[in-house]
Formats: sequence, structure tokens, C-alpha cells
Amino acid sequence: MTTTPADLDRARYIAIDLSGWGRRFAFYQPRNFAFWGYLALVGTGIFVFASRLTREYNAYGQAIGLAVTSFAVYAALFWWFTEHIDRYAKLPAKLMVVAFVWGGFAAAWSMAANANEAILALYAKAFGQVWALNWGAGLAAPFTEETAKGSGLLLLIALALRQVRTAFDGFILGAFIGLGFQIVEDIAYAMTSAASQFGANQIGASIGTIALRMASGVAAHIVYSAIFCAGLIYLLGRPAEPRRAGRGLLLMGTAMLLHGLWDSLGSIAGASVLTLVGLAVAVMVVTLGIAERVYELTVTRERDFMRDVMRPEEARNVITAAELEAMAGDRKARKAYRKARRNRRERRRACYVLNAAYDLANELAAARGADTDRVRFARAEVGRIRAGLPSTW
Amino acid sequence: MPDPETYKPSADSAPRFEPDEGWVPADERLFGVDRRTIAPTLAVFALAIVMSVVLPLINAKVPYDDIVKPGDVLELDGDVTFVPEVGWGITSGVRAGHAPSSGEYPATATVENGDAKFTVHTAPFDGDANQLLDQIERTSDALNRGRGAHVTGAHTAIVTDQGTQGATARVTGPHAGGVIAAFVFNGRGVEAVGTGPSDAGPEPAAAFLRMIRSISYPGEGKR
Repeated sequence: MTTTPADLDRARYIAIDLSGWGRRFAFYQPRNFAFWGYLALVGTGIFVFASRLTREYNAYGQAIGLAVTSFAVYAALFWWFTEHIDRYAKLPAKLMVVAFVWGGFAAAWSMAANANEAILALYAKAFGQVWALNWGAGLAAPFTEETAKGSGLLLLIALALRQVRTAFDGFILGAFIGLGFQIVEDIAYAMTSAASQFGANQIGASIGTIALRMASGVAAHIVYSAIFCAGLIYLLGRPAEPRRAGRGLLLMGTAMLLHGLWDSLGSIAGASVLTLVGLAVAVMVVTLGIAERVYELTVTRERDFMRDVMRPEEARNVITAAELEAMAGDRKARKAYRKARRNRRERRRACYVLNAAYDLANELAAARGADTDRVRFARAEVGRIRAGLPSTW
Repeated sequence: MPDPETYKPSADSAPRFEPDEGWVPADERLFGVDRRTIAPTLAVFALAIVMSVVLPLINAKVPYDDIVKPGDVLELDGDVTFVPEVGWGITSGVRAGHAPSSGEYPATATVENGDAKFTVHTAPFDGDANQLLDQIERTSDALNRGRGAHVTGAHTAIVTDQGTQGATARVTGPHAGGVIAAFVFNGRGVEAVGTGPSDAGPEPAAAFLRMIRSISYPGEGKR
């Protein structure tokens, strides 16, 4: 059966409609109940955290300044990376900010902090102080923190019904929720360390904590939440993601298990520092490996959307078949596409053409597949860069 | 690619008008609110209430029954120990010889008896006992800014049963009072704070002093 241009266009409209790609997101939605729920819980969290920060700033100002500056740079790096991997049917940046703020304030300070404290005390009462010190964190935080962060995704779905459509959207939003949680939690840990030596030697006391949290943060809340939230989307099902309850529960359970393992490392390793370091590295490697598998599992649907949106452009010779495969492919596909060029100059131009083609895809999604001025301009840009002409803008 | 399982295409599957972000279908409104957003929000609220209200309430209702028995000694990080009062409840910290699996004792231990509370905290400190008490006072003033409990009065000397000299001062607050003591053992600072209701009488104060004097550090008595 021959595929006509009309068939390709129809597939494009369906992909754009189904994926939610390119739809605008408005945070202010007074007729959306989730908007008020979000405001109440985030507002409470900001109040609790800001109260602690202002109270302790007078005593531990140096350490707080160091922690906020260090973790702001750290957060910027992770923000860039997470946005970078969301390269196919991109989510609105505003939605990522909303996710980050939920993780940092509502999940951490309105929910998990209270629950952790109560559960740890209950464990100590039921099983004794030593048992609580050994296993309390590992058997409290995975349940309280993962559900607190994951519940934010429920609100984000209600706030962005037309945008959050795939498990990959859950993976990306989960990563941003986890990033917010981790950064604010890290600042709180640095404050606790600053107080640990009676308020003296604040920088010395907190710098070790900051360095340790930065190193371990590579495979911590960001990754747990990404896996958990991808699982939550599979559990619930979305218009572009059929419900797969078993897979969803498996991913959510995996995130909790990894979190619990990490929090129990000190007790599992015993008094040997070498065993502790070895186990920590092993758990981090396993965690990152699982995260990569979940990324590959969830991103397939988004790549298919990209292919459907750009295939009419290939049919109209705006992009080549190789460019389409590189756009909808993984890092290896993009690398192979670049390597196929003869020299460095051509390879650089190939990169620019690919970037211009991604711009065109985003414009097409924003225009819902219509041929608008912006789309025509983006299309012309692909041609201009391919021809090696200078920009007139 | 569209998934036939989930996707119901429009009649012509062509670009179509999309209402703005705030629009709610007439059949999905409940008092003007989008009814589809009510259930998930209520679920999140229920979770928040369980975490921040129900669990702390349960914790407050469950009594603490780890009571100090004769011969019990609490140990802290850096081999610092003290003898808690018999009959008081251990609310944090562990007994000597019962270290957690990591082998590291916690830096803080607290025992309570009714409203009376005694906490010992240890950490590295470069200075003597008077300097440590000054540092604690500075930090406490910066945190409280004149409100709440704070260190008052001149420092006086106190000697542990082991023979180590420390510095002590009174702690006063709106409804509570007590004593604070500081010691430095070979680069390790120890802060001990006992507080109770202002009208509690002399009994808790005597217990605080007994516990402060029992603070010890290995090898310190031989110096």
C-alpha cells in the first residue's frame, strides 16, 4: 500500500494531538481544583522552610551562603542535563519549574519531613533506638518521600491534562520534582552540619556534607523520582500511554527499593569504610543503569512522535531520510549521522541543520501542524543553513 | 504510530481549533470547577494530612517505654559517656556497648522525665570549656534573638566525677529554666543542657547536676 502525503499529514496531526507536544501551559487556572491544592501545599512548604532559613541565617549565615551558592550551580547543571534529554516532544519549561517547586517545598516540607520524624520516633518506640538508627531511615524515607514527590505528579497531570501524556513526560517531570527535593534537602543538611560543632567552624563542618551530597546526588532523588513517576504514568495510563499496571508498580517499587538500599548502606556495610564505599559505588552504578533502561523504555514513544511529525518534511525534501533518522534516533544515531560527513566543516554544518530541523519540529507542534509564518520561516532556515548562506537576522 | 488502543481521532484528523488552557467543558463543571481535577487533588490532600497530621498524632499518643535501669550508661560519638538518672526515659541516644551497625554512636542523647529534659551533644571543638560555653551562648543568642530560652549569668566552674573541670551557667526562658555545662576533652567538646518548668523545684536540678558530673571521656581521669 502506498503512503500518500495526505496520509503522512494525517499521521502528523494525530501525533501532535496525542502527544500534547507544543501546547501552551498556563499555571494560573482558578477553575482547576489542583491549582488551589498546589498553592496550599507549596505555600505551606515555603513558609516552613523560609521560617527555618531566616531563623538560622543569623547563626549559620556563612554555611547557608556556601550551601545555597554551591547547590544553585549544581541544580543548574542538572537542570540543563534533564532539559537536554527531553529533546523529542518537549514539555513546556513552565511545567518543569512547577515540578521543581513542588519537590523542593511541598513534598519536602509540607509532607515528608513531618512523616519521617514521626515514623522514626515510632520505630524507636517499637523496636528500640539501635534498630531505628540502623534501619529507620531506610524503612521510612522510601515510602514517605517517594509518595510525597510522586503525588506532585498527580497534581501536575490535573494541571496539565493536555500536556502530560506519556511515561516519558512522567520520567522528565519526576526528575525535576526530585531535583527540587534534593536541592532544598541538601541545603537543610548543610544547615544541620553547620550547627553540629556548636556553630563554630561552620564552613569546615558543612563543606564535607555539601561535597558528599553532591557526589551521591548523581544517583539519588532525581533518579528515584524519575523512575517512580514514569511508573506512576504506566499505572494510571494516559491518552498516549496505555495503562500497564504491572510495569507501573514494578517501576515504583524499584525506585523505593533503590532509595531504601541507599539509606541503609551504613548498616549493611557495618563498620568497614571500604565496604561502605564499595557498596555505595555499586548501588549508584545499578541505579544509573536502571535509570538508563527506563529512559530507553519510555523515550521510544516520543521518538515515534518525532518521526510522525517530521516525516512529511522528508517527503517534501525539506530534510533527508538520514536527518529524519538522526532526529528521531538516539545519541548513537546522531553521532553516526555526523560521522558520515566528509570533513569537520560539513560535520559542523550537519549539526546546525539538525538543530534547525528540531526548531522546525517544535514550531510545527506549536502550530498544531498548520503551515504558519513561523513554520515557513523555520523551514526556510533549514534550507538556508544547508546551503551555507549567512543569517540575515 | 498512534495507538489504536487509546486514540480516538477527530473526524478529519486535521489541525483543529483548540480552546485556551483555562477552558472547562460545560459537562465537566461542578460549581465552575473542573470536576476531573477534584479527585486527584483530594487524594493528594489526604496523603498530606496522613503525613503531617495523622502520623505525628499517632507518635504523640504512643508512650515511650525505654526506661533507664540501674547501671545503664549512654555513649556518644567520640567515646563520651554519661550515666542517666534511673527511671528517666531515653528519647534519643543508645547505651554503651550497643553501637549501631555502622559502629558510630550518635552525637546526641536525650533523656526525659515529665517536662524535664536533659540533652548531651558532642562534637570536635578547638578551645577550652569557657570558650565552648561562649560559643554556645553566641549561637543560642543568634538563633533566638532575645526570645525563648537563653544562657544567662556568669560562668562558674564545675568538676566531673572523673575530675575534669568544665564551665556552667544558668538557662532561663519564659516558662522554663535549667542549667548548661560545657567540657572539652582533648579536642572534643561536650555540651550538656538540662531544662524543666520554672516551678519544678530542686529535684530536677539535682538530677541534672548528677548527670553532668557523670560525663566522662576515656583516659581523662588519669591525666
